[in-house]
Amino acid sequence: MSTDTDTDVDARSRGLVARLRASPFLSELLSNRLALAGLTIILAMLVTAVVARVTLSYDALTASRLGGTIPDRAPPGWIGPAATDQYLFGTDASARDIFRRSAYGAWLALKFGTVVVGVSTLAGVSLGIIAAYYGDVADNVVMRTMDVLLAFPSLLLALAIVAIFGNGLWKATIALIMVYTPRFARVVRGAALAVLEDEYIEATEALGASDPRVLIRHVFPNTLAPITVQSTLNFGLAIIDLAALSFLGFGASGAAPSWGLMLSRGVENGLLTGKWWMSFFPGMLLALTVLGFNLLGDGMRDALDPRMRDAVD
Amino acid sequence: MVSKRFLLKRLLLLVPVLFGVATLVFAILHLAPGDPARIIVGQRASAEQLQQVRTELGLNDPLWVQYVRFLTDAATFQFGDSYQIAKGTPVREVVSETLPVTIELALFGQFFGLALGIPLGVVSAVKQDTLTDHATRIGALTGISVPIYWSGPLLILFLSTYLGWFPASGRIGSTIFLDENWQLLGTELPLTGLVTVDTLLLGNVDAFLSAVTHLLLPSLVIGIYSMALISRMMRSSMLEVIRQDYIRTARAKGQGARITVLKHGFRNALIPVVTVVGIQFGSLLGGAVLTETVFGIAGIGTMLVEAIGATDYPLVQGTVLTFALLFTLVNLGVDVTYSYLDPRIEQ
Repeated sequence: MSTDTDTDVDARSRGLVARLRASPFLSELLSNRLALAGLTIILAMLVTAVVARVTLSYDALTASRLGGTIPDRAPPGWIGPAATDQYLFGTDASARDIFRRSAYGAWLALKFGTVVVGVSTLAGVSLGIIAAYYGDVADNVVMRTMDVLLAFPSLLLALAIVAIFGNGLWKATIALIMVYTPRFARVVRGAALAVLEDEYIEATEALGASDPRVLIRHVFPNTLAPITVQSTLNFGLAIIDLAALSFLGFGASGAAPSWGLMLSRGVENGLLTGKWWMSFFPGMLLALTVLGFNLLGDGMRDALDPRMRDAVD
Repeated sequence: MVSKRFLLKRLLLLVPVLFGVATLVFAILHLAPGDPARIIVGQRASAEQLQQVRTELGLNDPLWVQYVRFLTDAATFQFGDSYQIAKGTPVREVVSETLPVTIELALFGQFFGLALGIPLGVVSAVKQDTLTDHATRIGALTGISVPIYWSGPLLILFLSTYLGWFPASGRIGSTIFLDENWQLLGTELPLTGLVTVDTLLLGNVDAFLSAVTHLLLPSLVIGIYSMALISRMMRSSMLEVIRQDYIRTARAKGQGARITVLKHGFRNALIPVVTVVGIQFGSLLGGAVLTETVFGIAGIGTMLVEAIGATDYPLVQGTVLTFALLFTLVNLGVDVTYSYLDPRIEQ
């Protein structure tokens, strides 16, 4: 970017751009082509999700269209008979358009993924910081509880919680929040403990700052970096786990256009007789979205880890 | 060398965790909707029958009495009988029959993960920033992004249905090697429960090969995920090790690059990989639930899914506790191995 006196550029935003450019983390991240590819995939999915949410009617997507003019289980237009060529991904067992349903699936995946990651990040950050700052009893109570939750393989814990609360997309979401919170709590506690060692915290306390002020103004910002990486990587996992619960029959139900459910219905309704498109396309979008988050998260981790940065030089 | 003190500390730390795990498992039965007694006797049973079952199960006792009884029962792995899935069979028996199936799958999966992941990671590190390295890294990230319940069915379609290379489901060519009770021909009782080991013990090579071909596809699917994590861990660990002074010294003394990498680099780089293998085991168990469902394998994973669907609470409790125990023990094993390999960790 040129630094000459361009009157169109607001001085403040130029300051921001310059600041961002100077950040080793961002410049590292932006020079990582894989991370950029991940970001592109995520943005494309986000656009798909929002467009699908705004333009498609949920009722029309879920209603059975059997008995109409559209054949059920029709292969994608580009390989099937000419009459069905308006269906890019083919139709399912109820003659519904798989393309539109998969697009709406992106909305469901991102929405519930955001809830899982958002809530468990908030809960994990609060618990982790409290455990680190107050130590002793608080630390023991919080972290031993987290240890118990971490003693289960993650999908198994989700299944056990589903056994208690029952089935449904929202209940599966709550189950996954309980599964993911300990991961954040552990990471944040570690990061917060490292920050608390620093002398400026002691100085702030000596100046009479209250506990909430120390925690929110000083400890929290310093744990942001590891949290961001953890959230990004766990976003992909959350989407996979949510779809897994739907696939096993404990998440989305009925005719909901969730990727996991479409996948399992597609397998039931004729995958093994060669009707692959019913499960292939929802699964492809799912895998692509998760790959996007993994690429971005991986790039962020490399950009954050100074050892990796040195290794590149 | 692992010090006794470290081992003792690690074992003591297990106590509160196992206590918490058992409490959570106890809660499954008591927080879940529906009356367990009603599930057993059915909707049409009379009030007397219902009361009788409630008394038999001890559901009329105060909660703390039930809790203490549960803890003592759990310690000896007594969860009573299954309500629904295997009506009347003790949960303990169901678990001991299905657990080996899952362990066998997980072990085969871990084998593939290690056999493919370690060489890929080493190659990736030695050829850092080349095309090979980039391809391996992208491959690994793709591997952890593809859900088992998507790759599994598609592989069945292409490799089994279309190409006929692998059997589509089950553990062994059932009609040839199993009797009408689904027991291996020639045995009265299951020996180890691991079908590959049992067939070998019986000396039935055909049955063994059948069992192995049945296991290949599911364990490959489940192993891809381990492979991805192991290869990336191996890569970064290897990269760190080959920058150490002793590697430079070895090279300066005139040792060849290949020998240095294999003899000095590889062995030290393996240490952090041990941890990943352990952590990996958890997702391998979770993956086993999905893989078993996809491939129609009657392991403890499918049992748990069926038990939750049928509100068979004793079976849910037994299987969940088994999974947690197994996972905890593997993690303990990993910690001990890790401190054996790298004694600095004990501090």
